[in-house]
Amino acid sequence: MPLAQTSTIVPVVIDDALCIADKGCTVCVDVCPLDVLRIVEGPDGSPVTAHMKYDECWYCMPCEADCPTGAVTVNLPFLLK
Amino acid sequence: MDEILDGTTQIDCDILIIGGGTAGPMAALKAKRKNPKANVILLDKANVKRSGAISMGMDGLNNSVIPGYATPEQYTKEITIANDGIVDQKAVYRYAEECYGIIQELDEFGIRFQKDQNGEYDVKKVHHIGTYVLPMPNGDTVKKALYRQLRKARINIINRYMATRLLTGEGRIAGAICVNTRTAEFLVVRAKAVVMSLGAAGRLGLPASGYLYGTYENASNSGEGYSMAYHAGAGLANLECFQINPLIKDYNGPACAYVAGPLGGYTSNAQGERFIECDYWSGQMMQEFYDELQGGKGPVYLKLNHLAEETVAEIERVLHIVERPTRGHFHRGRNTDYRKDMIEMHISEIGFCSGHSASGVFVDERARTTIDGLYAAGDMANVPHNYMLGAFTNGAFAGLDAVDFIKDVDFADFDMGDVDAERTRVLAPTKRDDGIPPNQIEYKTRRFVNDYLQPPKVTAKMELAQRRFEEVRHDMETEMYVRDSHELMRSLEASAIMDCADMAAAASLYRTESRWGLYHNRVEYERDDENWFCHTILTKGDDGKPAHAKKAVDDYIVEIDEDEKDAYNNQRVTSTVAAE
Amino acid sequence: MNALFEDFDEIAELAEGLDDASPGTRIMAVMELANSADPAAIAHLARAISDADAGVRKQAALALTAFDGPETAAALVSALTDSDPAVIEAAALSLTELKDPEAGDAILPHLGDTDTVKLTACFAGIKELRRTEAMGAAITALKHEDAGVRIGAVGVIGWLQDEGSLPALRDAAKDVDTNVRRTALAALGFSKSEHAEATLIAALNDPEWLVREAAAETLAKVGGAKCVTALRIALEDEFWQVRLKAVRSLGKMNAVEAALEIAPMMDLLIPNLRKECAAVLGEMAAPETRPYLEKYVDDTDPDVRKNVRWALGKIDAQ
Ligand SMILES: Cc1cc2nc3c(=O)[nH]c(=O)nc-3n(C[C@H](O)[C@H](O)[C@H](O)COP(=O)(O)OP(=O)(O)OC[C@H]3O[C@@H](n4cnc5c(N)ncnc54)[C@H](O)[C@@H]3O)c2cc1C
Ligand code: SF4
Ligand code: SF4
Repeated sequence: MPLAQTSTIVPVVIDDALCIADKGCTVCVDVCPLDVLRIVEGPDGSPVTAHMKYDECWYCMPCEADCPTGAVTVNLPFLLK
Repeated sequence: MDEILDGTTQIDCDILIIGGGTAGPMAALKAKRKNPKANVILLDKANVKRSGAISMGMDGLNNSVIPGYATPEQYTKEITIANDGIVDQKAVYRYAEECYGIIQELDEFGIRFQKDQNGEYDVKKVHHIGTYVLPMPNGDTVKKALYRQLRKARINIINRYMATRLLTGEGRIAGAICVNTRTAEFLVVRAKAVVMSLGAAGRLGLPASGYLYGTYENASNSGEGYSMAYHAGAGLANLECFQINPLIKDYNGPACAYVAGPLGGYTSNAQGERFIECDYWSGQMMQEFYDELQGGKGPVYLKLNHLAEETVAEIERVLHIVERPTRGHFHRGRNTDYRKDMIEMHISEIGFCSGHSASGVFVDERARTTIDGLYAAGDMANVPHNYMLGAFTNGAFAGLDAVDFIKDVDFADFDMGDVDAERTRVLAPTKRDDGIPPNQIEYKTRRFVNDYLQPPKVTAKMELAQRRFEEVRHDMETEMYVRDSHELMRSLEASAIMDCADMAAAASLYRTESRWGLYHNRVEYERDDENWFCHTILTKGDDGKPAHAKKAVDDYIVEIDEDEKDAYNNQRVTSTVAAE
Repeated sequence: MNALFEDFDEIAELAEGLDDASPGTRIMAVMELANSADPAAIAHLARAISDADAGVRKQAALALTAFDGPETAAALVSALTDSDPAVIEAAALSLTELKDPEAGDAILPHLGDTDTVKLTACFAGIKELRRTEAMGAAITALKHEDAGVRIGAVGVIGWLQDEGSLPALRDAAKDVDTNVRRTALAALGFSKSEHAEATLIAALNDPEWLVREAAAETLAKVGGAKCVTALRIALEDEFWQVRLKAVRSLGKMNAVEAALEIAPMMDLLIPNLRKECAAVLGEMAAPETRPYLEKYVDDTDPDVRKNVRWALGKIDAQ
C-alpha cells in the first residue's frame, strides 16, 4: 500500500507527566467531538497516556476543559493561527 | 481501537433521535416526559456530553421572545421580512409563542441566563424596536446541564455511532442504519418514529485557511442529515439560500458583534465607519459586507478600540470564556489588542444551516417532514433563523409530536436489501488495498464548492461545478480507500459532503432569480416575485438526481404591510434580531 | 461489540474506587459518580471532598455541580476552607450552581463567618436561592472590610426585592468601592419608592462614570418626575456612555419634555450616541425635533441614517 508519509504538526499536546490514562482515564478521548485523540498503549497493551492521533481538530477545547489533571493544552492549528 | 470489525446488531425502539447536540436532547427529554414508557434512544456520532454547536457553551440566546420585550407578532414579522417573505409563518409563530416556556425550563435545568441585580431576566436592547438578546453569563454550563437531565431521565444514549441512511417502508419511516466510528460495526435501529437533529452542513465550503476542520460550525456536523433525508425521499426547502457568515478572518469563529453591540462595539470598514445597513445577520447584510470589500473600502473589522477600558475588559471576559474559548489564544498569537486594534473579519465559506438562514429539510410547525414519522429540528430543519433556542424549542415540538405518532403505529416493514446495499456502499473503501484517502476527496469537493458555488452565483460556473462533482464522485465511488474505522467515518462524511455539494448546485441553478442578498445572488437574474415568491423543494428524482418543485408560501398569519416591506428595503430599520 | 448504551452503574460499585490507593483512580471514581446524576452519589462525593489528595478534592467539588440540595451545599461549604485554592475555587463555582432553595439551609449558618473567601462564596451561593433569612447577614456584611463580600451582600439584598432593605442599599450606594456602588444602584431597580429615586439621583453626581452610568440606566425602572429632571441634567455628563444611558432612559420613560435637549445631541461626533438619540427621538415623535433630524437624513453612518428616517416617519405618522 503505497501511501506517502507526510509529516504534520498537531495542535493538541498532552503532558505525559500529568496524564492519568494509566488509571483508566479516557476523558479527553471521550469528549472530543472530532474523535481525534487516542490513548497510547504500552507493549503489554496497557494504557500509558493520551495523544492526538489525527490532525483534524476544531480547536474547541472540551479535551482541555474536562481533563481532570490539567494535562491537555489546545493550540491553534498552524494553518489558521 | 479503530480496526475494522465485522458485525451488525439490530435493536428496536419507539423513538430514535439522531444527533444529541441541542435539539436532540430536548426532543428526547420531552418525549420521555410525555410518555415515560416510551423507549427513546438518543444516538450521536460524537459523545452527547460534549457534542454539537454548543459543546463549549454559548454566550447568549439570540432570538428569545420574552413577554414585555417582544411579541410573537413582532418576531414573526421581522423574521418574515429578513427572509424576503419566503416563510411559513405558522412554524415561526409557534416558536415565538412557546420559546419563553423553554427558557424557563432551561433555567430550571440549571442553565443560567443573565439576570439583573434584582434577579429578573436582563434582555439586551440591540435596537429600538424588538429586544431579543438574552446573554448567558455561565453559558459554558449548557451542555453539562442538559446531559445531567438526560441521565436523570434515564434516556438511552448511544455514543460514537454515525447514522448513514434512514430506512423507510410502507410509506413511512422505519428506522436508521448506523456505523460505529471506532469499530465499523453496523447498528440497525428499527423505530416507529425518528427525529433528525444532526445539525448544519458545516463542511461544505473550504475555509480560507485551507484547514478542513477550520469551520464555523462544529466540524463534526458534516451534512449527513441533509444527505440522509434526501436519500430517504424527504423534501428539502430553499437549499440555495446558503449560510454565509461574517467571521473573524482565519479563526473563522463568530466576531460576536451582538455581544459587543449593546456595549457599543460595531462592524466597521477600514476607515472605522459603520457601513452595514441591515442589523440582522441576513443575506442582505452579507451582500453589504461583500460590496464594501469589493468597493475597496475593506478590510472589514469589528471595532472596539473606541470603547473605555472597563467596557473592553467586560467584552473580553465574555468572548474569551465560552462558545469558542480559543479565540483569546488566537488574538494573543497575533498580538491583537481590542483596545488598540480592530479585529479583521471576512466572509466565510458557504454551508447549509437554518440556524442562520432559511434552508433545510422541510418541516411544518410540528417539526414533521414530508415523510410520515420522520421529524427534523435544529439547524438542519428549515424553520428560519432558529439559533440555539429554536433548536431547543423545535426539538421539543418534534419529541412531543413523535409521542403521539407512535401511539397508533407499529414498526414499518423495510427491505433488508436496503441494509445490505448500505453495507456494501459503506464498506467499499475498506475492500480496496490502495486508493484516494477521504481527506483528499473531501478537500477537492470543497475546493470546487468555493471555486464555483461561492456567491455571487454564475450559471456557467455552477454547471461546471456539477461536472467536476460528478468526476470526483466517480473517483470517490471507485477509488476511495481507508485504513481504519476512523478514516471510514471520514469517508462517509466525504460522501455526505458530496451529496450536499450536488444539492447546493442543483438548488441554486433551479431558482432563476436573485433573493436573500448574497446568499442567492445570481448575477444574471433580478428578484422575481411573480415567478419565485415560493419555496423550492428539492427531492431525489427517479433518476437518482435532484428533482425540483415549487411550493407556495403558506398564507401569512401576521400581515406585512407594503410600506413595512419598503421600510426594510429602503431604510432597513425594522430588523433587530442579533446575528451569530 | 462494545457496550451499546451508556451505562447506569451501581453507585456503591462506583464508590469503591474512592478507597483505591492511587489518587488517579480516585479521581476516576469521582467523575463516574458525577456522571451517574444519581443523588445517591452525593454522600460519596461529600466524602471525597476531604480526600488526602487535592486533585481528588477539586474534582469532587466540581462533580457536585451535578447535584443540589442541603447535603450538596454542606459538602461544598466545607470545601471553602480547604488548604488548596484550586479546591476552594471549584467549590465556590459549584455553590453558584445551586437552585434548590433548601440548599440554603446549609449555607445560612455561615453567613456570619470571618473568612473572606468563604463568605464571598456563601453570599454568591445563597443569592439565587432567595432566602429571606439571609437579609440580616447581608445587611451586616455591607460593613465588611472586603469589597468582594460587600458586592456579594448587595447581590443577595437586590434579589430579595424587599423595600425594607432600601436604607441599607442607600448606604451601599455611598460605598468607597466603585463596584459596590454600581451594584447597589442597579439593585434599587425593583423599587418605585422616593427613597430609591433619591439615591439614584444623588448618584448621578458620583465621581466615577461607571456609577453614573448605572444610575442613569436604573432610573428608567424607578420612574417619576424627579427622575426626568435629573436625567435631563445627566444629558450633559462628560462621559458619552452616561449620556447615552440618560437618553435611553428618557426614551423609555417617554419624557417628551426632554426632546429638545436630546435633539441637538445629534450634532455630536460620537456615533453610538447619535444613533441612540435618533432612536429615542423617534420613540418620542415630537414634531419640534424635526429640523434637527432632517439634517441627518443622509448621514454617512447607516445606523444614524436609518434611525433618523425612522424617527421622521414616526413624527409624520402623528
Ligand atoms: C460557533 C457558534 C456560535 C453560535 N452562537 C450562538 C449564540 O450565541 N446564540 C445562539 O442562539 N445560537 C448560536 N449559535 C447557533 C446554535 O448554536 C445552533 O443553531 C444550535 O445549537 C443548533 O442545534 P442542533 O441541534 O441543530 O445542532 P448541534 O447542536 O450542532 O447538534 C448536532 C448533533 O448531531 C450529531 N451528528 C452529526 N452528524 C451525525 C451523524 N451522522 N450521526 C449521528 N449524529 C450526528 C453531532 O455530533 C451533534 O451532536 C452558534 C453556533 C456556532 C457554531
Ligand atoms: S483527560 Fe487528561 S488525564 Fe485523562 S487521558 Fe486525557 S490527558 Fe490523560
Ligand atoms: S480541541 Fe476539540 S477537536 Fe481538538 S482535540 Fe480537543 S476536543 Fe478534539
